[in-house]
Amino acid sequence: MFNAPRKPRRDKEGQMPRKKRTCRFCDAKENYIDYKDEKRLQRFTTEQGKIIPKRITGTCAKHQRQLVSAIKRARHLALLPFVSDAVR
Amino acid sequence: MDKHNTYESTVIINASLDDAQVESVVTRISETITKNGGSITALNKWGRKRLAYSINKKTNGFYVNFEFTAPSSSIALLERSYQLDEMILRYLTIALDAKALAAKKATAAPPPAVETAAPVQPREPLFTESAEKK
Repeated sequence: MFNAPRKPRRDKEGQMPRKKRTCRFCDAKENYIDYKDEKRLQRFTTEQGKIIPKRITGTCAKHQRQLVSAIKRARHLALLPFVSDAVR
Repeated sequence: MDKHNTYESTVIINASLDDAQVESVVTRISETITKNGGSITALNKWGRKRLAYSINKKTNGFYVNFEFTAPSSSIALLERSYQLDEMILRYLTIALDAKALAAKKATAAPPPAVETAAPVQPREPLFTESAEKK
């Protein structure tokens, strides 16, 4: 039988231990995020086309700012949708 | 003399035109760039692509990407010409900063690691060109 993974223990303050997230762009040592790479930018948007906040993706502030401007540029050029077709 | 910056301009051309007409739009744009004192370093045609949303009731567009160095004053003229051209659906012009250029170089560099003398040569025509103008 398959055993469900054990629930992580809470610490003294009753907080669940957090999984450490690292910035993907820092890991790859990238200093520039290109707006033309729409496949990659798409991974940082929801299915509706919204930009995913950095608290979810773990991107650092510096790269999130670059990412946001890259996504907005891509949207202007119709590489990424403002709102996806499914929602409209 | 104006300061020359590196720019990148992406243009969406009406895809319902045939190839010859698209080509003429591309040459017209590159002429306006060079006429205003710029020089094109790269021209990439991405071809016909589906737009993520419709622009002017069109669902397809022909993407062209220009990379060029030009005086900053010429950008306003270039964008004006984009606006007047009815075949152009959308455009985006951005200045490439040091970071962007470094990133571009890093992605382009790996194959020609063997050549050492080659990168020096392309610089020379730039000097003769500026000398002619004076």
